[in-house]
Amino acid sequence: MIFDSYEAFRAVNFTAKVCILGSGPAGTTIARKLGAAGIPVVVLEAGSREFSDDSQDFYRGVTVGDPYFDLDITRLRFMGGSSNHWAGWCRVLDSQDFEPKAWAPDTGWPISRADIEPYLPEVHEILELPDFRPDVLVSDDIRWVQLIKSSAVRFGEKFADELDRSRNVAVVLDTYATELAGDGKRVTGAKLWSNGKDPGSFTADYFVVCTGGLENSRLLLWSNQRSNGGVVPNAAALGTYWMEHPTFEGGNAILADYSEFEVDATNEAFFSPTLAAMERLEIMNFGIRLIETPYPGIKSIIADLACTVPEMAEWVSHQLSQNLRCAAQLYVTWEQAPLASNRILLSKTDVDHAGVPRIELHWKKSELERRTLLEGLRLFGTTFVQKDLGRVRIANWLTNGGDYPTNEELAGHHHMGGTRMGTDMTKSVVDANSKVHGMDNLYVGGSSVFCTSGECNPTTTIAALACRLGDHLGKVIGA
Amino acid sequence: MSFFTRKISRRTVMQALIALPALSLVRKLPVADPEAIVEVNGWILKRGDLT
Repeated sequence: MIFDSYEAFRAVNFTAKVCILGSGPAGTTIARKLGAAGIPVVVLEAGSREFSDDSQDFYRGVTVGDPYFDLDITRLRFMGGSSNHWAGWCRVLDSQDFEPKAWAPDTGWPISRADIEPYLPEVHEILELPDFRPDVLVSDDIRWVQLIKSSAVRFGEKFADELDRSRNVAVVLDTYATELAGDGKRVTGAKLWSNGKDPGSFTADYFVVCTGGLENSRLLLWSNQRSNGGVVPNAAALGTYWMEHPTFEGGNAILADYSEFEVDATNEAFFSPTLAAMERLEIMNFGIRLIETPYPGIKSIIADLACTVPEMAEWVSHQLSQNLRCAAQLYVTWEQAPLASNRILLSKTDVDHAGVPRIELHWKKSELERRTLLEGLRLFGTTFVQKDLGRVRIANWLTNGGDYPTNEELAGHHHMGGTRMGTDMTKSVVDANSKVHGMDNLYVGGSSVFCTSGECNPTTTIAALACRLGDHLGKVIGA
Repeated sequence: MSFFTRKISRRTVMQALIALPALSLVRKLPVADPEAIVEVNGWILKRGDLT
């Protein structure tokens, strides 16, 4: 069932066991799992069926630190959530991403990749994915990895009919849960805001917060403040260890040999380091996106090469006459070092139309990440030389120690951390089952539970974790 | 005559000077490895690319 307003929902007699906040990839997946298990679920979606500027306005906020996207642009507040502007790129976090790294503090998850692998067949069905091919070792240091560019499932569109037909799932649109109330053991209700009014509170036995990688922290910080710590009793880490995937053009390559890898349908190939290389260089994970450059675009690269190695520039020109696919741009995306100082705070001066403080995001890239970017490109360039795949040039701003460019992509719109998973209550918010520490009936879904970000797009892992949480909740409630 | 030339004959000095180029020939000089990786103007290259 889908209701366009809370008033319409209230007119029917539907008693929910579970209340899910948010209808993005995590919320929708958990709702479908519970509904299929015969458990009555309400999904409260703050937005409506379509995009609107009025709805987006609730997401405005400020960023302190490095340049970042406007917070009302980098996510979407309507049915299906940010899947509505997702590019569709899929890959699951690597096994090594779940392991602690001695050289990077506060890394490591309380679960391993093996804990989510049983859910990957479901994820492939949800996201309409073929099987992933195994990584290919190009050298001891570099893997040729696969990112599947899927058709980008819009969760609101794809599952609208199924949810509308469901007798166990009620999606209630235009219904914003502004805060949760709790007594330090249980959430006792959600205060609502619908159509510009306060329609009262909603209660259920269980609550699952799936409002997004920024909004989950905001909602819990505000709820905890209003209930004097009754919603997140162990709140030391709440809002902290927020992460993104910074993305910049890091250089170019001239390609000589395609035998070790092939480009995909959009002339791209992706590369990441081996764990051994990360350990040796003490760097974070990264992904190099090699994009074949159209023929006219490589003239400046050859001109630059001619200044450095004239004979090689001649060789390149010769190759060019035989093979037009022989130059590439190199974009680098990397894993941020988890830092408690990268965090979400509540604004002290600015609130949204419902009176909830807006987000003040504190975000800065670290020196370890800068080293990851530079050493990562050197590693990739060295593999290219040693394997005679071609030659790599690192961008001047990197070799000269210049500032990050401000006219590029900046990051991936991937909002991770803030309610991270862990066993140490001073450094995490939820346990290995995504249940808030100290609370009996409050869970968190989505990428805010990520402990580390790896280098790949998060949606596939979000969906896998949501399947796992849906299964877990089904067992808890059914027991 | 200086102290130096009083102690050593002119013939000895000349022989020493003549021998210098020969000594430099037998001295072990480092040979650049053409496969070594070098970074020049941001390019990651083989040293052999530069010759």
